[in-house]
Amino acid sequence: MNGSNTGPGSTHPATLATVDGEARPAHGALPAIEVDELRRSFGAVEALRGVSLEVRGGDIHAVLGPNGAGKTTLMRILCGLVDPSAGSAYVMDRRTGGPPSTRKSIGLVPSGDRSFYLRLSGFDNLVFFGRINGLRHRAARVRAAEVLEAVSLTDAGRRPVSTYSHGMQKRLAFGRALLHDPAVLLVDEATHDLDPAAAAQVRALTTERAQSGTAVLWATQRIEELAGFAERVTVLDRGVVCFEGTVAALAAEGGGDRHVVGLGPRTTTDLAAMSAALSGIGKIQPASDAGHVLLTLAPGVSLGAALSALTAAGAEVTSCRDERPPIERAFLAVTAARAA
Amino acid sequence: MTVLVAEARKIPAFLRRDLLLMLSYRAAFVGDLLAIAVQAMTFGFIAKLVEPSALPSYNGVQVGYFEFVMVGVVIATVSGLLLQKVSMAIRQEQMIGTLESLLVTPTHPTTVQAGSAAFDLLFVPVRMAVLLLVVALTLGLDFQADGILPSIVLLGCFVPFVWGLGLIAAGVVVTFRRGAGVIGVAMAMLGLASGAFFPLGLLPQWVQAIAEANPVAIAIEGTRGALIGGAGWSDVGTGVLILVPLSAVAVLAGVVAFRAALAREYRNGTLGLY
Repeated sequence: MNGSNTGPGSTHPATLATVDGEARPAHGALPAIEVDELRRSFGAVEALRGVSLEVRGGDIHAVLGPNGAGKTTLMRILCGLVDPSAGSAYVMDRRTGGPPSTRKSIGLVPSGDRSFYLRLSGFDNLVFFGRINGLRHRAARVRAAEVLEAVSLTDAGRRPVSTYSHGMQKRLAFGRALLHDPAVLLVDEATHDLDPAAAAQVRALTTERAQSGTAVLWATQRIEELAGFAERVTVLDRGVVCFEGTVAALAAEGGGDRHVVGLGPRTTTDLAAMSAALSGIGKIQPASDAGHVLLTLAPGVSLGAALSALTAAGAEVTSCRDERPPIERAFLAVTAARAA
Repeated sequence: MTVLVAEARKIPAFLRRDLLLMLSYRAAFVGDLLAIAVQAMTFGFIAKLVEPSALPSYNGVQVGYFEFVMVGVVIATVSGLLLQKVSMAIRQEQMIGTLESLLVTPTHPTTVQAGSAAFDLLFVPVRMAVLLLVVALTLGLDFQADGILPSIVLLGCFVPFVWGLGLIAAGVVVTFRRGAGVIGVAMAMLGLASGAFFPLGLLPQWVQAIAEANPVAIAIEGTRGALIGGAGWSDVGTGVLILVPLSAVAVLAGVVAFRAALAREYRNGTLGLY
């Protein structure tokens, strides 16, 4: 795709003309978000260096990367707050950065928590944002009440936002992003500073939206939340895409399920014998900790079966713990490969 | 046209938001009114020192200093407050962190600016008019009732001029993140050459020449003519004819300056930075 001859707000060059702000590809048809060779520099700093990705309606696509990877810059370009230096970004067939109508289809959950009028109630905040999203007053009130219920804030809805906990404000931000029922949801590090229960609730709400056909772009540095949540992932590191594919494929880059096994003094076997005992179901390697070995399971093999085989071979197993989760290992592997 | 109507429909949402925010700061609201009332009282005492013969007459009516200065104080205060509020409206959103949340909605940035200033554009003149009325009733200001409507029309033509200046200042503030000082100096200069506190005749000749084209001075003198001299529509007509084109130019220049400043922020990616 080459969007260089199209201006902000124009429709995607590969599609037929669309009604202003109304274009919405059917689920699974054209991508809801399409980013091609996107670049953005801030002075000498290149925040994005040729990033490309696609997200379809109903998908949760994670953008994984450490601080400074370019995740927030990508989000800000998609919602029109920053112009790209080069490349193109389309949301629902419309080039980002165009007239305000191009933002009708976008709901943003920002990473910061300073995005509300703290002296107003959650309800009044939502009514206000509903109205500037184009709802009439009565409709905005009805929608605000619905959204408060959806994010479990009905009871706190009439209290000033200044009295909300961090998690409540994040849920309110999530609710605000849903006010106008957007086709695309951009979620920027929504869970990075939430407790596990609050983070799980935000992920559940996101999954619910995706199931209703919304395309979700989920920027995060929390690797552990991807499994079972996002379908696809783009790993960013210093503005460069290091990996793009399914979460399962990323996990596979990490080399399978690995455990650190502690061996007791009554162990009567050595590494070679244990390797032989694990033939076909896993492999054993020395671990960095003394008195421990690293057990890598073959696909589909249960940990119990492997430990039984080790015990039968004369190992006294005193402890067993997960090594780094495979996605984390994969992330480190793909970013290290780029650095090398 | 449809887009304009849709954008205009959002302005009441800003008005409601700012009314609720103002009501949440009741002490500040009352304190603000008290400060202005004390200022009025101060001028009431100063008025005892000023000989009416040192002041101009309006439509043959010799004005007392209290009437003279209260009209000037009210209009100068309205101008200053509006300029400050309009220019800082976007900066305020930037500081409290809500600007990006507003700009990711399908709302035009100019609507966000106008909406954020709308409450003050309406409320500040109304509040000052009420104050003037209260002072008139309690401290005995001698105003002509038939000058009220012409004054309102004149000031209605003047307020967009201040809004336009405010938009230009808002562009400067969005670009440089500072500007309150410059705005303060600009308002002091306009105030000095407006005849708000003393007759323009006391100024050096060359400043008088500038003052005659100063929209603040035109608004003040026209209002004095209507309210004090009871000249009705005859005294405000010339002022209206001068202020309407000046206001139109100021608003146009303001919109252009503000949009240019925002476009620069989008290009630089610094809109959310404070």
